[in-house]
Amino acid sequence: MEQIIEVKQLTKAFTYYKKDTGIIHSFKNLIHRNTLTKMAVDHVSFSIRQGEMVGFLGPNGAGKSTTLKMLSGILHPTGGSATVMGYTPWKRHKDFKQQFSIVMGQKSQLWPDLPAADSIYLNKCIYQVEQDSYQRTLDELTEMLGVRDLLHVQVRRLSLGERMKLELIASLIHRPKLLFLDEPTIGLDLLAQKAIRQFLRHYNEQTNATIILTSHYMKDIEDLCPRVILIQGGRITYDGELQQVNAEYGDKRIMKLQFHEHVEGARLLPFGNVLHHDGTTAVIELDSANIADSSRQLLELLPVSDMLIAEIGAEEGIEALFQRQS
Amino acid sequence: MIHWSEVKRHLHILRLFVKYSLMSQMEYRFNFITGIVAEVAFLIAKLLYVLLVFKTNLHIDGLSPDVILMFLGVHFVFTGIYMGFFFQNFLLLGQTIRGGALDMMMTKPISLQFLVSLRHIDLGMAFPNVITGIVLITKGWNASSIMWTWETVVGFIVFLLVGVILTYCLMIIPSLLSFWLLDTSAAAEISYALWDANNMPASLYHRAIQHIGTFILPFFLITNYGPLFVLGKLSALQLIWALAAPVLFFFLIRTVWKYALRQYNSSSL
Repeated sequence: MEQIIEVKQLTKAFTYYKKDTGIIHSFKNLIHRNTLTKMAVDHVSFSIRQGEMVGFLGPNGAGKSTTLKMLSGILHPTGGSATVMGYTPWKRHKDFKQQFSIVMGQKSQLWPDLPAADSIYLNKCIYQVEQDSYQRTLDELTEMLGVRDLLHVQVRRLSLGERMKLELIASLIHRPKLLFLDEPTIGLDLLAQKAIRQFLRHYNEQTNATIILTSHYMKDIEDLCPRVILIQGGRITYDGELQQVNAEYGDKRIMKLQFHEHVEGARLLPFGNVLHHDGTTAVIELDSANIADSSRQLLELLPVSDMLIAEIGAEEGIEALFQRQS
Repeated sequence: MIHWSEVKRHLHILRLFVKYSLMSQMEYRFNFITGIVAEVAFLIAKLLYVLLVFKTNLHIDGLSPDVILMFLGVHFVFTGIYMGFFFQNFLLLGQTIRGGALDMMMTKPISLQFLVSLRHIDLGMAFPNVITGIVLITKGWNASSIMWTWETVVGFIVFLLVGVILTYCLMIIPSLLSFWLLDTSAAAEISYALWDANNMPASLYHRAIQHIGTFILPFFLITNYGPLFVLGKLSALQLIWALAAPVLFFFLIRTVWKYALRQYNSSSL
């Protein structure tokens, strides 16, 4: 399958100032500033094929959105190269912009005081979509997302979930080959999240569009993206199938514990790698060979009220990976 | 090279912006009506200038009150164009940059500068000023016994177009600073003050100010050169500068705009 995105050693550095607390330092800062450089994206390389659905995962500030912004031409990189559909994104060629779309969960492109239909029509004119194709796509997308009746309601009167569905329609009206989604389900309720996910999967199957997704909701990634790219501190720490993330944890298990009274974290350390602990609940990663012994000892030594042992799932695998590398 | 199909497309989208802006404003009936009333009240206050010119029989550098009326009229027309087409967009530019809305706009296959600087249009602010301005120009023109010939009318319209381009270029400067500065209100205040000082013939001011206002920040070209042209008071050099200045300043603004976009770091908001 054709490569649609080719990224080589892509780098983006931001400069910022550091200032200690207090007014004295504010005065000092007025005269001289300590300029520091943060590598938001640090020499990342990857390629993506036409029709793939890829999840970008990473903690806040890992460099996911910055990467997406460079690939969509919003930001100029500090170094490296990228080719998206044969174009250098930051040259912002009109033909390039005709073929992709970006949806940001926290930013709207709809005019708030008008019905969404007007903003969608504006996009039709901006993207020079033929009337027949526009009508067909609009009918199809409104049908798929079940929002036909909402097209003529003022955007500011819509719920967040309804607005996001209409944002998607506005972004897809020109049938882009490539779709960047930056946290498209942020703030949505579970039903709305599910509807968006179903729609995206269907859209990908139907149009073979490439979809690059960032999300903090693991469910989005698990449902949609067979492949994930994990970014941490601006660097790629994993690029491969989601199911393989935890392959290296094949001999590991996750133990979820609930206590009926407060337990100090230090008491859990002998049993394995503590992934989570808040006093009354804990998640421990431990060798499968030690499961029987560890369980017996835990029950004897600690006030355990509930215990669940499971294989390491994708979410826990990714969490463990991030913890190990931070 | 100008692609006329692109110009046509942009004009079509501009028509949509006018329509959508009007539709959006009419959603807030009270604001819409009071906005127009406030603009008319402001206009009446500014018309006191006209009264003052005639009451005091003010002559500036040999220009009679009737001729000064034309200068005031042109100033009104451009105030209407500025307030109606540019003001809100320039005001919102800083917010668009800081809030990250620019990110989405950058991905659209259309001129970003066009999209950002002509998106919100307020005809309620434009019409009262433009209509009053045209009335004042016509009265001043007739009272000054200037001939209505093809040359004077077409020449005057050309200077109106020159004025529109220069208004855009000069008044967008404070907003462009938003790419680098957090608060550009001081620069904006200066530009408003310069704008208001431009409602009279330039010869009212000291020669140094006249030069600055003609060659460095050519505000005087906007209101002065149209009336001076029909009065036959522009030299060949001034005519050449009047035609060169909008090209030069538009080129400068485009260069700064492109440079700013290269430096743009987006917003994490």
